[in-house]
Amino acid sequence: MIFSTLEHILTHISFSIVSIIITIHLITFLVDEIVKLYDSSEKGMIMTFFCITGLLITRWIYSGHFPLSDLYESLIFLSWSFSLIHIIPYFKKNPNFLSTIMGPSAIFTQGFATSGLLTEIRESTILVPALQSEWLIMHVSMMILGYAALLCGSLLSVSLLVITVRKKRKFFSTSNHLLNLNESFFFGEIEYMNEESNFLQNTSFFSPRNYYRSQLIQQLDYWSYRVISLGFIFLTIGILSGAVWANEAWGSYWSWDPKETWAFITWIVFAIYLHTRTNRKWKGRNSAIVASIGFLIIWICYFGVNLLGIGLHSYGSFTFN
Amino acid sequence: MKTLNSTTVSKLQLRNIRNGFKFKTHFSFSNNSFLYSAKNGRTLTLTLSFSSNKTVFSKLKTSENQSKIKGNKKSLQAPTTTNIEAPEPGGAPPATGGGSDGGTVKQPPPPAAAAESKKVGSWKLKGLPKKVLAVLSNLPLAIAEMFAIAALMALGTFVPQGETPDFYFQKYPEDNPVLGFFSWRWILTLGFDHMFSSPIFLGTLSLLGASLMACTYTTQIPTVKVAKRWSFLHSAEAIRKQEYSDALPRASIQDLGVILMGAGYEVFLKGPSLYAFKGLAGRFAPIGVHLALLLIMAGGTLSATGSFRGSVTVPQGLNFVIGDVLGPSGFLSTPSESFNTEVHVNRFYMDYYNSGEVQQFHSDLSLFDLNGKEIMRKTISVNNPLRYGGITIYQTDWSLSALQIMKDDEGPFNLALAPLQINGDKKLYGTFLPVGNADSTNLKGISMLARDMQSIVLYDQEGKFAGVRRPDSKLPIDIDGIRIVVLDAIGSTGLELKTDPGVPIVYAGFGALMLTTCISFLSHTQIWALQDGTTVVIGGKTNRAKGELSDDMNFLLDQVPEIVDSKQSDIVSG
Repeated sequence: MIFSTLEHILTHISFSIVSIIITIHLITFLVDEIVKLYDSSEKGMIMTFFCITGLLITRWIYSGHFPLSDLYESLIFLSWSFSLIHIIPYFKKNPNFLSTIMGPSAIFTQGFATSGLLTEIRESTILVPALQSEWLIMHVSMMILGYAALLCGSLLSVSLLVITVRKKRKFFSTSNHLLNLNESFFFGEIEYMNEESNFLQNTSFFSPRNYYRSQLIQQLDYWSYRVISLGFIFLTIGILSGAVWANEAWGSYWSWDPKETWAFITWIVFAIYLHTRTNRKWKGRNSAIVASIGFLIIWICYFGVNLLGIGLHSYGSFTFN
Repeated sequence: MKTLNSTTVSKLQLRNIRNGFKFKTHFSFSNNSFLYSAKNGRTLTLTLSFSSNKTVFSKLKTSENQSKIKGNKKSLQAPTTTNIEAPEPGGAPPATGGGSDGGTVKQPPPPAAAAESKKVGSWKLKGLPKKVLAVLSNLPLAIAEMFAIAALMALGTFVPQGETPDFYFQKYPEDNPVLGFFSWRWILTLGFDHMFSSPIFLGTLSLLGASLMACTYTTQIPTVKVAKRWSFLHSAEAIRKQEYSDALPRASIQDLGVILMGAGYEVFLKGPSLYAFKGLAGRFAPIGVHLALLLIMAGGTLSATGSFRGSVTVPQGLNFVIGDVLGPSGFLSTPSESFNTEVHVNRFYMDYYNSGEVQQFHSDLSLFDLNGKEIMRKTISVNNPLRYGGITIYQTDWSLSALQIMKDDEGPFNLALAPLQINGDKKLYGTFLPVGNADSTNLKGISMLARDMQSIVLYDQEGKFAGVRRPDSKLPIDIDGIRIVVLDAIGSTGLELKTDPGVPIVYAGFGALMLTTCISFLSHTQIWALQDGTTVVIGGKTNRAKGELSDDMNFLLDQVPEIVDSKQSDIVSG
C-alpha cells in the first residue's frame, strides 16, 4: 500500500514537473532567453529524472523483479531514458535544443503511460516464465535506451528537415504551417521564430539570422548523427543480447518473430542512415529523410507489433479486457 | 606545471620509443643508452637499460633523422613489393584472381605493388572480378540492398507465414487484390508465404554479404592505410585550413605534445612540427563491424544447413531416444554419437504464484547412454535448458496426460486425460469415469475437467457440478455414493531439442559486432602543430565528433603554459 501510494505520488510529481518544463521551454524559445527560467527548467528535468528513477525503484522493490515486464513499465523506462539523455548534455554544456526535444518526448511518453488507456496492465506484476532471466534487464533496458536515443536523434533530423523545407519556400505559403505545427508543435515554434525573423530582417543571405539558422542546421545535423550513433550501439547490443536470450529460452537465436524482425528493420534503417553519412553529398537532407523514416519505424516496432499482439513478444501487448 | 611535466615528459619519451621500434630494422643501435642531441642545442637524455638484447632508442626526431627514415623506408619498399608479386606468375593466376579474396583482404598489396603486378600478372583475368568488385562496393547499391531487405522483412511480417495455399487463395483473392495488384499469385510464385527462406530474400541477403566483402576490400582497407600513414604538415597555411585551427602565442610545441599525450593522444614530434592522433581504432572498427556481420551470416548459414531440430511431448515417467525426435534441417546435418542417448522424464511440475498463475515449469530429466548408465541429470525450466554433447533440450510446452484417482478406496487408477478444444489458447483436459455396467448402451459416469495441475473440477452423472478438488489435498468427494480421491494429476512435458553447429560462430560474430560497434563510436582525431617563432599554430580534424572537437581542443590549449622566458622553457621541456 505504501509502495503504491509512493508510486502514485512520484508519477504525479514527475508528470507535473515535465509539463512545467515544457512551458518554460516554450517561453524561452518565444521570448529571448531568460537565463533564470532556463536554469530552473534544467533543475526541473533533473528532479524529474530522480522522480522517475524513484518510481522505477519502488516498482522494482514491490514487484520483486526489474520493472520492464510490460508496456507500461517499458514506457516509464522510455521516459526515464529520455530524461537521462536530456541530463547528459546538461553536464557537458551542450546546446539546449536537445532538451527542447527531449522534454516534450518525455512528457508524451510519461503522459501516455500514466493515462487511463493503460490502467489495466498497470497492476499486473507477475512475470511469465519466459521472462524470468537475467537477460531481461540487459535486453530490454538496452533496447529501450536505444529506442530513446534513436527517437531523439531522428527527431533532431525531423526538425532539420522541417527547418530546411521552410527555408526553401519562405515566402510562398504559410498554410502548411498548421500541418507542421500539428506534426510537432515544438519544431513549429523554432520555425515560427525563424519566420518572424525573416520578415523582420529581410532575406539578405549574410544576415545574422541566416547565419544563426545555418549554424542551427549544422548543429542539428551533427547532434542527430551523434545521438543516433549512440542509439545504434544500444540497439545493436539490445538485439544481440535478445538473440542470445532467445537461444536460452525459445531454442533459437533468431526465429523471425515479428518484433525481432521489426527491430532488425529498425537496425537496418539506421545502418542506412550511418552509411548515408559517409557520403558527403548525402549528408544533411538525405540522411535526415532516412532518419525520419527510422522515426516511424521505431514506433511501428515499439507499438505497432504489440498492437497486433502477434508473435512471441506478445506479453508486451495491450490488454483491453 | 613543472612537477606535472617532469613526470609526463618521460612518458612522452617512452611513447616515442614505442614508435622507434618501428624502425628498428632499418637502424640498429648497439649501445643500450642513447644520447640524443637536438639541433637547437637542447639536450634530451634518456638512458634505458634492458636486460634483453633489444635495441632501444629515444626520439624527439630531428629532421635529418626523419628524412633518413623516410628515405630508407622508400628504398625498402621496392624489394618487398617484388616479394609479393613474385609467386603470382608462377602460381595459378585464375585462382589468385577469383578465389583469393580472403588472402588478399589480409594483405592487400600497396598501390605501387598493385600497379606493378598488373603488368606482370595476368590482369585480364583479374579485370572482371575488379569490375564486379567496383559494382558491388558501390554505396548506393548497398543502400538499395539494405532497403530491399528491410522491405522484404516488413512484408514478411504482414503476410501470414507458413499457411496452406488455400489460406492465401481466400485471403488474397485475385478478383480483389490488396493495393490493386497484390494477390495470392504474387505470394506463391515469389515464395512470400515462407519469406525468410525464400530465394528472393536469401538472394538479397547474400548480395548484401557480397557487397559487404567488396566494400571492406575496396573502400575500407585503403582508407585505413591512408589514416595510418601519419604525416607532418610543414606550412602554417595548411594547418590553418583544417576544420579546427588556432594559434598560441608564446608557447612551446613540446608543452603541447606533453599535454596532448596526457589527453591520450599518440604524439610525434619532428623539429618544429607536431603530429598527434587519437582514436585510430574508430577508423578500424567499421571494418570489424563488416567482418562481424559476415561472421554472423556464415554462422547463420551453417545453422540453417547443419542443424537438427525436433519437439516431443513426454508424459512424466516415460522415456524417449534423442535421435528419434531430431530431424535434419539441411544437407550438412550429420548425426552425432550422443543421438543414441535416452532421456527419461523423472518428474514434471509447475510453480505457481499465490494468485494461481504459473510461475515456472520444471522437468527433471535423466540421460542414459546405450548401456543404460545414467550420464547426466538436470532439472530444466524455461530459460534454463539442458546441454549435453552438442544437444540442447528446452522446456517449451506442457500438457496433462492422466489423472490418478482412488475409487471407493480401490486403486489407484490412472485415467487418461484428453485435450478438449475450446476457444482461445487456454488449455483444458477432460476424462470420464464410467459408473455401473460398462457394457450398457446408456453409459453414465463422472466427468472430470482440469485446466492445470492445481485443481480438478468434477461433475456427476447428470452433468451437474459436484465439486473441486486439489490433487495434493487428498480430500475425498462423494458423488452419487461413489467416494473419489484425486491423488495426482500427471503432466507431460513439452520439450524442444536441437543441435546447432552455427551457434559458436554466430556468438563470436555477436561479440565482435558489439565490440566493434562500440569502438566505431570513437572519433579519429588528428592534430597538427607547427612552431612558428614563439607562436604555435595548431590545426586539427576529426571524422565523427566534429562538434566536440573545438571544445576539447580549447580545453587542452588552455593548459599549455605560456612561456615568459626562453630559458625557463628549456627547463620545462627538458
